[in-house]
Amino acid sequence: MNKLKYERPYIKKLTAGAMNKFGSLSGSQPFKFIDNVPVKSLVEAYGSPLFVISEKHIRRNYRAAYRAFSTRYPKVQFAWSYKTNYLNAVCNIFHQEGSWAEVVSGFEYQKALGNGVPGNKIIFNGPGKSKKDLLLAVENDSLIHIDHLEELGLLLPLCEGLDYQPKVAIRVNMDTGVYPLWDRFGFNYENGEAWRAILKIVNSGKLKLTGLHCHIGTYIQTTAAYGVAASKMAALAIKCNTELKQHIEYLDLGGGFPSTNTLKGAYLPGTDTMPTIDDFAEEITGTLIRAGFENDDLPLLILESGRLLIDDAGYLLGTVLANKRLSDGKLATIVDIGVNILFTSFWYDHQVSPADDYSPTVENTVIYGPLCMNIDVIRESVNLPLLKSGDHIVIHKVGAYNMTQWMQFIALRPAIVLIDEQEQVHLIKAAETLEHIETNEYIPEHLK
Amino acid sequence: MKNKISSFIGSILNTYAILFFSQNKVLGGILLFVSFVNPLAGLSGLCCTLFTLTVINILGYQHENIQSGVYSFNSLLLGLAFGTFFNLTGYYVLWLAFVCLLVIMLTIILTDRLGKLGLPILSIPFILCYWLVLFGEGVYYHGGLQQKNTFLLIHNATGTGCLVNIYQYFSVGLPCYLGLFFRALSAVLFQNNILTGILISIGVFIHSRIMFSLLVIGFISALLFNTITHNYPDGISYYNLGANFMLSTATIGSFFLIPSVRSYLLAILSVPVMFIITNALTGIMATYNLPVFALPFCVINITLLYFLLLRRKPGKLQLIGLQHYSPERNLYQFLNQKDRLDDLKYFRFSLPFMGSWTVSQGYNGDITHKGEWGKALDFVIEDDDKKTYSHQGNLPEHFYCFNKPVLACGDGIIANVVDHVEDNAIGEANKKENWGNTVVIKHLNGLYSKVSHLKKGSIKVKVGDIVKTGDLLGRCGSSGRSPEPHLHFQIQATAYIDAKTLAYPFAFYMTGNGKKASINSYKIPEGGQVLTPPAIHKTIRKAFDFQPGYTAVLMSEDCKMESIEVFTDESGQSYLYSKETSAAAYFINNGTQFYFTSFYGDTNSLLYYFHLAAYKVIFVNDDSILASDAYPIHLHHNKIQLWLQDIIAPFYRFISLSYQSSNLSKKAGIAISVKQFKNIFGTTRQEMDASIDISEAGIQEFSIHINKVDIKAKWVRGNIY
Repeated sequence: MNKLKYERPYIKKLTAGAMNKFGSLSGSQPFKFIDNVPVKSLVEAYGSPLFVISEKHIRRNYRAAYRAFSTRYPKVQFAWSYKTNYLNAVCNIFHQEGSWAEVVSGFEYQKALGNGVPGNKIIFNGPGKSKKDLLLAVENDSLIHIDHLEELGLLLPLCEGLDYQPKVAIRVNMDTGVYPLWDRFGFNYENGEAWRAILKIVNSGKLKLTGLHCHIGTYIQTTAAYGVAASKMAALAIKCNTELKQHIEYLDLGGGFPSTNTLKGAYLPGTDTMPTIDDFAEEITGTLIRAGFENDDLPLLILESGRLLIDDAGYLLGTVLANKRLSDGKLATIVDIGVNILFTSFWYDHQVSPADDYSPTVENTVIYGPLCMNIDVIRESVNLPLLKSGDHIVIHKVGAYNMTQWMQFIALRPAIVLIDEQEQVHLIKAAETLEHIETNEYIPEHLK
Repeated sequence: MKNKISSFIGSILNTYAILFFSQNKVLGGILLFVSFVNPLAGLSGLCCTLFTLTVINILGYQHENIQSGVYSFNSLLLGLAFGTFFNLTGYYVLWLAFVCLLVIMLTIILTDRLGKLGLPILSIPFILCYWLVLFGEGVYYHGGLQQKNTFLLIHNATGTGCLVNIYQYFSVGLPCYLGLFFRALSAVLFQNNILTGILISIGVFIHSRIMFSLLVIGFISALLFNTITHNYPDGISYYNLGANFMLSTATIGSFFLIPSVRSYLLAILSVPVMFIITNALTGIMATYNLPVFALPFCVINITLLYFLLLRRKPGKLQLIGLQHYSPERNLYQFLNQKDRLDDLKYFRFSLPFMGSWTVSQGYNGDITHKGEWGKALDFVIEDDDKKTYSHQGNLPEHFYCFNKPVLACGDGIIANVVDHVEDNAIGEANKKENWGNTVVIKHLNGLYSKVSHLKKGSIKVKVGDIVKTGDLLGRCGSSGRSPEPHLHFQIQATAYIDAKTLAYPFAFYMTGNGKKASINSYKIPEGGQVLTPPAIHKTIRKAFDFQPGYTAVLMSEDCKMESIEVFTDESGQSYLYSKETSAAAYFINNGTQFYFTSFYGDTNSLLYYFHLAAYKVIFVNDDSILASDAYPIHLHHNKIQLWLQDIIAPFYRFISLSYQSSNLSKKAGIAISVKQFKNIFGTTRQEMDASIDISEAGIQEFSIHINKVDIKAKWVRGNIY
């Protein structure tokens, strides 16, 4: 017998359908309304594809997360991670709720200033700050989180002649028992780099070390890692307090909390497997409270969670363009949503729902985008009813990163609307036009 | 040395002023001046005062009493009386000196004995000693002391020149009753002189509008009462009118009691009683040929004061707690401090949890907080939909408050712990072990706090443990009579788990959120309110942590320097003392806020301006939180408006001075931005703008702009590690 050809292993959930009248219906449910606004009317008014953000959902996420931390720890501050979604309307919702701004570039810094965030409530992270950016941050009294010694070298000359010490923190990386170790950012804890950086800052006499920052990774699926991070940060802060008489006012534990999206390759859905924000809060705050600070001298706990607070508040509406059978007989559906605007489809098996009523028959389908690129696959395998051209679909939990990492590629980028708490729809970013793209293009004379 | 001389001169003027229960230097000066209308009396009075002050200074008695003139005014009265009623002979000085010594001794002894009962000596030492002299009059006569012919003789101005003319003008030109009023006032100095009376009136008016109005009221009531009863057919003598009737209404109405409608009424009602006492005493003393002087005044004041002092509940007729020797100041300070000194009344309880919790059942709630167990609070955590749980809510873990940390609400010792009761399933209540898992903390004798329905096995403390505010006690659960997870909190007087409840406020909590957040101090939360503990900012708290021994130097831009040191007085109250100006500013720091309670001394000192600026600071770094407060009205700088207010102040206040501060972050630390507003008949105007800069190292500088004064001062501390 000939050796069979290798076939990559895969797991596929059996969907036997309803076992009895109490059994749950498996597969997608029609999703006709977002915050009571009909999906159909949104597409009709603003076109397809269309990003929809729910203000109510954002505020609830924020308050639930803040509640989780603030009922366990006396001093908690959230800072909105701009890179996750820096639409001004979205940022302002977070700022209204009390969030500071966490930015990682001069561009984001300007955005935060433009949104009216006071300089001293902007946290400036990231390994790529220019001299100009740093000067701006120094002038605005922002919290500068130093990533490497070169940055410190850039910063010190800027402090010459100032009558105050700019506030800085260092980014610390450490082994928290998870892979990958994000040791490319900041100074390492275990090998003493972090302590040496702290000494350099304190000994310079020009900067005020007010905090310590870490961000152990992204989509961390275990709470234990945060426990390790919190205890190492606390130890470092106590060492600064006692040995250097340098009062550490805040510990910034960063973000990295997972949303409830299902990662590619995961067997069970994210809603069932991911720890909740309460689990993370319990671990972090419990560790800090036991760390040995006085009751009335606990450092402010800053969190820069992004994804968790906005992912499930974002929806992407699209329209079916065509159906076809692939060579192996599998059904393929082509929609007007491409990976250029749904970047996260590379990471997640996004939940896709039809927006209209449908017949109970479902079929395993591959969803392709409209791009003329082979990689333009939204879902490789999803059970969907038989959709026809012109039907609308809703892709869930797309609030994080898509609206900042999207590309103008082949097609133009769509509009974004916000549904406010009173269920009114607001256009918060208009669809891209040809003029937008060409406005900063120049054609040399000889090519005209 | 310069300080010593000025304080000595101050004590002389105070000795005069205190005859009218004042410490006002102008009034003191006027009295000193007019006492010389009768040169011998004036000179004798001044000599007795100097002699007494010298003696008691050398012998070293209590400094405050020396300074205020309390120890020396009886000697002054003696000197005035001697000079008025005896002729100057060779032995005059000798007798005066020894009687004066007697007065000093009696004053010191009586001040101590009566002082222990909380009573004043008034002019009792003088009266007793003077009687002693009169009893032995014949003996002294041979010893050279000659009494003048007429007793309480009618003195006319003995001067010459224009003073006499003015005097004649007044005696003729003034209506009879007005003349009587002024003569009555002059009687306090044993004179019968309209001009003296006018000058004293001016002095008293400058000292206190309230007291002046009461003198007038006393004068009118006494005359009216006499007209009705015809007690004295020829009219009341000007001496009794002044030294007894008018002075009594003034002291009862404004000096020993907080001036109010009630004190005024009491003062008027005391007039008939004064008639009885005066008549009786005059009659009795006449048998011995002795003058009563102000004895009726002493008797009624001491009797009434003692009577009122023994009350258990002062009610609305309030005695003066701390004497400021100014009815206005007493009144304004009292009104101001009525609501401001909760820190001295209550133990400081903070919320027993972190984050925002909702009061699901308040005091006397209709679910379980009933009868003697009514003063209790139940707390839960709610979301935006007022739901207390997520998911289905059929498991304790679904409830937001379940398993959340429960903290010690104050320092204390664990008095009782129960930790074995199973948590209930949702909807079930364990009525057998009603309180479930519970921790009782003893804070003071007779003051305990209790948290109940905790999670089984979560309690981290045991009986006898010492806990600090904010220490973890256990976790919120659902044990005992608790159909769903919640936290029960109550204050009680005993250590028992099932003790009755006490109504007691929390020292501090915030209600509302975001821009609408407000801070509550010493209030009892109500059902439905959402409470959050304030987040204390360490830098601000540290900057205002003035422990006794704290020193700093204030340096203004025009090179004025003041050394500040913190002291505590006998009653344990702390104050900032400015060495150069002797100004003192009392304050309280309760860990959540710093505030000044009163200020004494030089209102041009830097300390005074700092006290205006840092009148109340809350240690929260949130620019939306405003610290609001009210200044006592006497800090108002417009004297005309203030004097108008003074006259009717016991009944109605139309001026109010409010204070507002908020803490703003800035480049190097925090700036406390302060405003003062004046409100007159409902129209508000900003009066003051100030700011205090704080850094990690403490207060850096403060600047203030008020009433055309611009001050910017650096706050310099020694190098502190």
